Amino acid sequence: MKGFPMNTSLVNTLLMLPALLLLAIVFAWPLLDSAWLSTQASSVLTGLAPTANGGANWQRLLGDARFWQDAAGTLRFAVVSVGLELVLGLAMALVLHRPGRGRGWLRALALLPWALPSTVLALGWRWIYNDPYGPLNSLLKLFGAPAYGFLTTPATTWLFTVLADVWKTTPFVALLLLAGLQSIPAELEESLVLEGASPSQILRRLTLPLLRPWISLALMFRLAQALGVFELVQVLTRGGPAGSTESLALYAYLNAMRFLDFGYSATLVVATFLLLLLLTAMGWLLLRRRPLEISR
Amino acid sequence: MPGSGARRRPAPGAALAGLMLGLVLILLPAGLLARPVAAATTVRVLMPSPFVDSTAPLVASFNREHQDLRIEVARGPLDTEAMSDLAIGGLLLGDTAYDMLLMDVSWTAKYVAAGWLVPLEGLLGDDALEAMVPGARTGNAFGGHLWRMPLTGDTGLLYWRTDLMAEPPRTTTELEAVSRRLQAEGKVRWGYVWQGRQYEGLSCVMLEMIHAFGGQWWQTGSGRAGGQTELDSPGAIAAADWLVHLVRSGVSPAAVADFAENESLQLFAAGDAAFLRIWPYAWREIERGGGPVVGKVGVSTVVSAPGFRSGGTLGTWGLSLLAGSPHPEAAAEVIRWFTGPETQKALVLDQGYAPTWASLYEDPELKRKHPLLAVQRQALEQGPEVRPLTPLYAQLSDLLQRQINGLITAEGSAADAMAMAQSQSAVLLESAAGQDSA
Repeated sequence: MKGFPMNTSLVNTLLMLPALLLLAIVFAWPLLDSAWLSTQASSVLTGLAPTANGGANWQRLLGDARFWQDAAGTLRFAVVSVGLELVLGLAMALVLHRPGRGRGWLRALALLPWALPSTVLALGWRWIYNDPYGPLNSLLKLFGAPAYGFLTTPATTWLFTVLADVWKTTPFVALLLLAGLQSIPAELEESLVLEGASPSQILRRLTLPLLRPWISLALMFRLAQALGVFELVQVLTRGGPAGSTESLALYAYLNAMRFLDFGYSATLVVATFLLLLLLTAMGWLLLRRRPLEISR
Repeated sequence: MPGSGARRRPAPGAALAGLMLGLVLILLPAGLLARPVAAATTVRVLMPSPFVDSTAPLVASFNREHQDLRIEVARGPLDTEAMSDLAIGGLLLGDTAYDMLLMDVSWTAKYVAAGWLVPLEGLLGDDALEAMVPGARTGNAFGGHLWRMPLTGDTGLLYWRTDLMAEPPRTTTELEAVSRRLQAEGKVRWGYVWQGRQYEGLSCVMLEMIHAFGGQWWQTGSGRAGGQTELDSPGAIAAADWLVHLVRSGVSPAAVADFAENESLQLFAAGDAAFLRIWPYAWREIERGGGPVVGKVGVSTVVSAPGFRSGGTLGTWGLSLLAGSPHPEAAAEVIRWFTGPETQKALVLDQGYAPTWASLYEDPELKRKHPLLAVQRQALEQGPEVRPLTPLYAQLSDLLQRQINGLITAEGSAADAMAMAQSQSAVLLESAAGQDSA
């Protein structure tokens, strides 16, 4: 595994140009546009026309308790759901990697939740959590327990958004890790077995170290997605109860589409991007170093 | 569908003759229709999904009767807020694909401020609303212009169970007492269900309750925001206090904190509650649903605290003309037909919608066939409550929803929640005033 050596030869640079151009158009341009808009007052009060307001949006952001609360909430959601997805996804990948009858079917089946559109999934979970008629509360009733407000308890509702997200996205993580598992030569494991290593030793000494690049790939992917979580909360909770599950993306969306405050919405978008950049950089630094030493 | 009809007919005599006849039957009407269609002006309307279905037969007959004018209806989402998001998404692109939009009453001020609507008085006349019930006229014309023609006269209503009581309660105290008695007797699991989810519906409930306790949400004034809020007034606090009291004392289920219209209707239709606060459309839904309460539901105006009277929140839908429509005159004609008495009468009969024309409330056929009409008229004449007419309404509503939803899902006092809602609203309006002077 050689990282990603920066080759400065002219040919390579030229070959990368189209891709870079595409990235600039679909990624850098909207971001720069948002960065510019975040320095403007552009809302229903200005007739939607942008006029420079000297950083007032950013000043407002720093003092906006709702922004900080949403940022903390979004972070909590992302860290917990991605953490669970990695653990469960690894377990799932190990099971799916075992040779056996019907493995193809099992793999296809395991992917189903991921193939579901988020909106449909959120509607489904909304019913599962329904109070008093949903299946979970029916189950509680069966055991004589009182109904629980899965979507009406500000302290715990975020956990149930995590559960819905984990249910949907674990297969995606499992798929990535399964690809990683299949890239590990079978002989390595066999030789360790011959040496008398236990399964848990094999997992710790061989599988996990060799899987590290794949884990970090899954982590990056999922962290970026989870920090931008939108449809799930929009449909499942609308950010409630009491704003406890509002994500940064939902807040930015409300500002743009409901409040018609595009200046502030753009500010939220840029702030979310900066946060994401910071986190992925941290994750990258944390996971990038060691695999090389161990896998050699 | 002349084509499909022709195909199903058995071929007379020889197969060839049948085929020829079939071809003629298919092609002739198609050829006749094709010409006027090509020359006709097409007016495109974006409406929420339920309205598309309910008006489809009427639109079809309009298109049959008119050679030079066609209505093309685009299907929007079912949910009111999703509908607004879709419309705004299109409008922001500048070049909208629609001539008009079926709008919720709470959007109008925002759309006007954004410059998306065309005044209608020049096209429909200054007296376009004159023959409507007073309550239905509200929220359509302001700032010296007519922005919207109402199609429905919806207000919040109280649904009650005729098998559990002889008369509906008139006051909040009565409602609570009856609920408790029925709950104690084991007749119903819950007393009163309403919309407590963190969404626009909760603001509608709050608005009518604030008035039911003698307060008001909004005091019209000057400036670009158009007024100020009065959410920390005694009436407003008493309203919040009553709602949270209902939840904490078990008259309303704690689950109302996640109830939108559907969830509350579901619980009432299942026979699990004595009272439901919802819009006029629910009556048909209950009757069609075939559940345990069919034939046992009465409808009344919303309750108020003793000594006060609330008209229920105005939740009308109406048609607005979008800026950029290439043929405003044709669109105005469609608006006149769509919101006119004949169309509305058909919608009352087919769908149970609340009409806006005073004459329809006198129509003997409607009175006979639609029992809700008398109550609906009373609600509209009682002066339905209008949500703050300001371009900043969406923000104000969002602030209030969060506070009230927080109040009913956690600890805390109504006075604190309302003080918070008031101070947050004030900050928002002040910042708007700041932009005003700049």
